[in-house]
Amino acid sequence: MTSYQLRAWLGERVPVADIVEALRRKRVPEHRYSIWYYFGGMTLFFFIVQVFTGGLLLLYYRPSAGEAYESVQFIMTRVPFGWLIRSIHAWSANVMVATALAHLFSALFLHAYRRPREITWVSGAFLLLLILAFGFTGYLLPWNELSFFATRVGTDMAGTVPGVGHFIVRFMRGGRDVTGATLTRLFGVHVAILPAIATALLGLHLFLVQRHGMSVPPSVWEESRRTGRATASIPFLPDFALRDLFAWTVGLALLAGLAAFYPWELGVKADPFASAPAGIRPEWYFLWAFQTLKYVPASVFGVNGELLVVAALGIGAALMVVLPFVVPDRPHARRVLVWFAAAVLAYMALLTFLALRAQGGGPTP
Amino acid sequence: MTMMVGLLAAMAIVLRASSGSAQTTETAAQQAFKEDVHATAGLTCAACHQGAPATYAALPRTAIAPLCGKCHSDPAYMKGFDPQVRVDQYTQYLTSAHGKRMSGGETRVATCSDCHGAHGIRRVRDARSSVAPLNVVQTCAKCHDDPVRMAAFGSRATPVKDWSASVHAAALLKRGDTSAPTCSTCHGSHGATPPGVTQVANVCAQCHVREAELFRASPKKAIFDQIDQPECLACHGNHRVEHPTDAWVGFKEPAVCAMCHDERMKGASTITATQKGLADMTAKIGAAEVVLTRAERAGMLVDDGRAALRDAREHEIHSRVLVHAFATKPFADMADPGVRAAQESQTVGERALHELQVRRRGLFAATVVIVGFLVTLWFKIRRLGGAGGEPHA
Amino acid sequence: MASDVFVARLNSGAPGRRGFLNWLLGAWAAGVAGSILYPVIRYLIPPEIPEASTQSVNAGKASALALNSGRIVPFGSVPAILVRTAAGDYRAFSATCTHLACTVQYRPDLEHIWCACHNGHYDLTGRNIAGPPPRPLEAYQVNVANDELIVSKKP
Repeated sequence: MTSYQLRAWLGERVPVADIVEALRRKRVPEHRYSIWYYFGGMTLFFFIVQVFTGGLLLLYYRPSAGEAYESVQFIMTRVPFGWLIRSIHAWSANVMVATALAHLFSALFLHAYRRPREITWVSGAFLLLLILAFGFTGYLLPWNELSFFATRVGTDMAGTVPGVGHFIVRFMRGGRDVTGATLTRLFGVHVAILPAIATALLGLHLFLVQRHGMSVPPSVWEESRRTGRATASIPFLPDFALRDLFAWTVGLALLAGLAAFYPWELGVKADPFASAPAGIRPEWYFLWAFQTLKYVPASVFGVNGELLVVAALGIGAALMVVLPFVVPDRPHARRVLVWFAAAVLAYMALLTFLALRAQGGGPTP
Repeated sequence: MTMMVGLLAAMAIVLRASSGSAQTTETAAQQAFKEDVHATAGLTCAACHQGAPATYAALPRTAIAPLCGKCHSDPAYMKGFDPQVRVDQYTQYLTSAHGKRMSGGETRVATCSDCHGAHGIRRVRDARSSVAPLNVVQTCAKCHDDPVRMAAFGSRATPVKDWSASVHAAALLKRGDTSAPTCSTCHGSHGATPPGVTQVANVCAQCHVREAELFRASPKKAIFDQIDQPECLACHGNHRVEHPTDAWVGFKEPAVCAMCHDERMKGASTITATQKGLADMTAKIGAAEVVLTRAERAGMLVDDGRAALRDAREHEIHSRVLVHAFATKPFADMADPGVRAAQESQTVGERALHELQVRRRGLFAATVVIVGFLVTLWFKIRRLGGAGGEPHA
Repeated sequence: MASDVFVARLNSGAPGRRGFLNWLLGAWAAGVAGSILYPVIRYLIPPEIPEASTQSVNAGKASALALNSGRIVPFGSVPAILVRTAAGDYRAFSATCTHLACTVQYRPDLEHIWCACHNGHYDLTGRNIAGPPPRPLEAYQVNVANDELIVSKKP
């Protein structure tokens, strides 16, 4: 059989010729903000790394209060390259949150959420929330002291929601308190439920990105209209794809270096009856919220302070999701949004900084 | 009343304010009695005092113990309050150095109320009691730490600071181990008597069983009996039982062996072997600890090494006990596995540090490959030069 | 950099050079793939060392333990004491004395557990009955299956 015949045979059974053709013809705009196009791809790369290393970890991990810590210890000490797989999984999770946030804010500042990309934005916003959920559920799995108490505090926050709060806490913990039942529950969520949802959402997100192509920022578009010159662009295949590959490989080198020089700590096994150790903290990307809780008084105008924070976070998340539908497509509205987003970003950075300074150390292991 | 106050005050001066004799007025006595164990049991003043309150007089000191003994020696009566209670205190007291003298009419020795108090008596297990583990040493010291008072009996004072410097005091005061021995643990409480030369080892053996067993099976036992040396005390002292160190074995200060032995005597080889064994083990354990800590700081998990080191430490403790066999073989049988465990622990640590080097080298190799790939990719992208071209659709 | 040598060659745009560039890129890519695959394959091969599970351990043959005797068995990295009582029951406890962490032993003459360091006594339920130990020993579960003694933590 010649290669032509083979291709024809395959093409008939796997009819993707038109998709390949579309990709081949696709072009990616090239301008001074092009660098921000790569963060989505980087996030995708780290997600793939997570799926891959996560699957490997499942081979040795045991999700029960009695064995979780020991099995992670086993992976770290006995399994060849187990330390590498686990450290990469932990580091990649953190770097992924960073790139996802960079992706979100770049899409926001470059106004990529505008018509017709509203659904792309919404699916992306949900993906970010999913990533945070991945982080939260995965944090407890090694069953060490730090994560145990951080999970206790984290789940406890939901208890402030009026009416259904206690039910939510019980639902998240699989019981009244953080126990082995919580571990099993969060494990199931982390390795089955969240990945299923994330894969579906990611499929939609990628499909939409491919169909719509990259958004050209209004300023660049305006400029091209003024000068009468078309915006420069490069072919998606192979130019953009190779650049993506370049970024991915840099990401890979970063992960390998971090894992080799800063193997992720395991800490002390959680003891539910021990008192909380000093310096418990959530993952760095929750620090700003954690710090906010410290500043808000117990009661503001008769309302529970913690509830206010929880409510503000909920409203913030909701606003983020529906952003394309509340920001009118007018230059003035866009300017307001940019300032608002910059203020939010500055607030998060400031509080994270304050939290880090308060505990006198970095979030790294 | 005034007479009573005067008498009590005189007693207080003599006895230097024991908690019981400090009540100078009726109200103070009543106040203190409120929390007294006897009050809790439903007894009143009249249980001890006779006549109308106004005529209550201080008891003669010789009458105190018999008065307490009246109830506390009566099993039938005492059982009504606590079925497990002991009733031998008065009998014991009569055999004690205190009790014998008191019976002989000497009233400057301790009786019940001097240690337990008179109107504010608490249970021994109550931490506020003057005879609770944490307080009993101070209670004894009221008299026994006073050279003038003790001189009257032709005895020397026993400075509390001797006991305070001991390993027993450290266990009680620093670690809060209330089972650690105080005065009464070795001397007895109601039957307090200094143990004799022949009995003192039995006292120590109450807790230090293994050491006592080893000592008694060793050749030392017969020799010490011959030369009339108290067994444990010869090396460890009595009240000031300090934490022993490995330097105690040897021929030079502060070695206790050196009190009798020198290098030329028989048994010198045993001393040398033991000394070397202990030093060896300590050095190996120290070295292993350093390596393990370094590996841990570098982020390596060395639990096997930690387990082996724990094992080595335990052998070290047992080896120190086996010094009391005063023989080379039993000591070596315990010390050698300890040295081996320490060595194994060190090997684990060194392997971890080596593994770290391997990781770094592996990372370096991978980095070279990745950078090579990136550079080539960079050229490839430059060569494509796809920018410009068609306008963006 | 290894590839610096090729810079001049690569920058010349001859068609033959393009083939070389692709070949070089492929070779490096194979290297990168190899440096990913090697650890992964090594990871997938199960380690020879038996798993260090401290949930339960096999403590050997049941028949090898005589009546009224005890044995110290490793439970993870800490010792456990396995006792066969005079009545024939199997019992297991943590062998670390609660006083100063010495390893306890079984005394057939006393028919209970004893710590040599400071004369601590524990009865056959692990309760501290005499001497300085402040707390009972942690009790483990013992199951006998096919003459194998399995010691496990109580749930």
